[in-house]
Amino acid sequence: MLARSGLRSTRILNGARNGATAFTKRSISSNSRASTESPMKLNVTVAASTALAIGSVAWYYHLYGSTAHAMTPAEEGLHPTAYPWVHQQWLKTFDHQTLRRGFQVYREVCAACHSLSRVPYRTLVGTILTVDEAKELAEENEYDTEPNDEGEIEKRPGKLSDYIPAPYKNDEAARAANNGALPPDLSLIVKGRHGGCDYIFSLLTGYPEEPPAGAQVGAGLNFNPYFPGTGIAMARVLYDGLVEYEDETPASASQMAKDVTEFLNWAAEPEMDDRKRMGVKVLTVTAVLFALSVWVKRYKWATLKSRKIVYDPPKGASNNVRS
Amino acid sequence: MGIWDTITDLVEAAAPWSTAEAEAPAEEPKEETSEDSKEEPEEEEAEEEDDEEEIEDPKEKLEEECKNSKQCAPAKHHFDECVERVTNASDDEEGKEDCVEEFFHLAHCASQCAAPKLWSVLK
Ligand code: HEC
Repeated sequence: MLARSGLRSTRILNGARNGATAFTKRSISSNSRASTESPMKLNVTVAASTALAIGSVAWYYHLYGSTAHAMTPAEEGLHPTAYPWVHQQWLKTFDHQTLRRGFQVYREVCAACHSLSRVPYRTLVGTILTVDEAKELAEENEYDTEPNDEGEIEKRPGKLSDYIPAPYKNDEAARAANNGALPPDLSLIVKGRHGGCDYIFSLLTGYPEEPPAGAQVGAGLNFNPYFPGTGIAMARVLYDGLVEYEDETPASASQMAKDVTEFLNWAAEPEMDDRKRMGVKVLTVTAVLFALSVWVKRYKWATLKSRKIVYDPPKGASNNVRS
Repeated sequence: MGIWDTITDLVEAAAPWSTAEAEAPAEEPKEETSEDSKEEPEEEEAEEEDDEEEIEDPKEKLEEECKNSKQCAPAKHHFDECVERVTNASDDEEGKEDCVEEFFHLAHCASQCAAPKLWSVLK
C-alpha cells in the first residue's frame, strides 16, 4: 500500500511536469486501481508539488532574477535618443550633399584635433569630391617619398592614394596638446561607439549651458550627459554659424553635427550604398529564380499530377474481389 | 568582365536613373576656377553683410518648447524641485545630492519629443 502510493505520487509529479497528456494517461491507468486511494491524498500531493514548484521559481527569482547595477546612471551616460536618420533606412543611400557638408565640417573643425587615418583621398572621389578637387586637396599636404639613390627621404606633394594626414605626430603629442586626453581617430568612431550616429550627434549637440546643480565636473573636463561619466575632455566645438556652407545651408550647430555625423558614418562604412544595392540585386535575382523553380516544378509534375489511376475489375469475376 | 558585368551594363544603359560620375561635368571646371578665386572675398563680404543675422539652432528651440510641454511636465517638475533643493542645501551640508539623474530624465524626454520635428527642419 505504502509502496503503491509512493509510486502513485511520483507518477503525479511526472504528470505535473509533462502536462495535460500525462494527466489523462494517469486517470486512464489509475482507473483499475484508484479505488483503494483516497482522492483527498491525491489532491494534497498535487497542491503541495505545485506550491513547491511556484515557490522555487519565486525563490530563484528573488536570488538571481533582477540585474545588479554596478554603475550610477551618471556613470553609464544618458542613452542617446534615436533620430530618424534617412541613410539608415533599408533602401536609402547616403545623401552625398550632406556628406560634402560633413566633410567640410570635419576639415574645418574636427581635423584640428582628430585624425581620420583610414580614409585615403581616393575614396572621396565620386562620393564627396570631384577628381580635381580631391587631387588639389591631396597636394596641399606633403608626404615622404621613397628613399632616393642616396637613401635620403624627401618630401613630395600628396597624391590620391595618400591618406588624410593626422593633426599630431603621434598619440603622445596629441595628449600633450589636449590636457592629457587623446582625441580618438574618427575613421571608425560611428561603429566603435554604442549608439553609433545617435550617440555622436547627441554628444556634439548635447552640451548644456551649464551642468545641473550639484554635478561634479573634474578639472579640465566639460559636462556632457551623453558621455559615460559625464565629464569629457572635449569642450563644445560646434557653435551656430561656425562654418560657411557652399550650398548656403544655414550652419546651425545641429545642422553641422548632423552633417559631420553622417560623414563619419560614411567614413566608417563607405561600402554601405553598394551593400544595399547588392542586397536588392540578390533579392531580385532570388525572386526570379524562385519563380522559375515554381514554373519548372509545375512543368515536371504536370504528368504526375494530372494522371488518373483507375481500377477496372475484370468483368464477371466479382467473387474474387474483396469488398 | 564576367557575364554579370555585361548584364549590369545593359541594365544601366536601359535604366531611367543615371549613375554617379567621379569626373566633374565638362563645363564645371570654368565655374569652379572662377568660384575659387572669388570665394574668399565673397565669404568675407557675406560675413560682414547679410550673414550677421544670427542663425538660430532649431534643436535648442524645439527642445526648449518640449521641456515646457505637457509631455515633459513631470520630468521638469522633478528637475526644478531638485535644483531648488540642492541649491538651498549646499550651503550647510557638503552638497551630497546632485540633479544629474533628474537632468537625464528631462533631457531624454525633451530630445525624444524634439527628434522628429528637428529632422523635418534640418537638411
Ligand atoms: C580642441 C580639440 C578637439 C576638436 C576641435 C574636436 N575634438 Fe573631439 N575630442 C577631443 C578630445 C580631447 C577628445 C577625448 C575626450 C575624452 O576622452 O574625454 C575627443 C573625443 C571625441 C569623441 C569620442 C567620444 C567618446 O565617446 O569617446 C568624438 C566622437 C569626437 N571627439 C568627435 C568630434 C567631432 C565630430 C569633432 C568636430 C565637429 C570634434 N570631435 C572636434 C578634442 C577635440
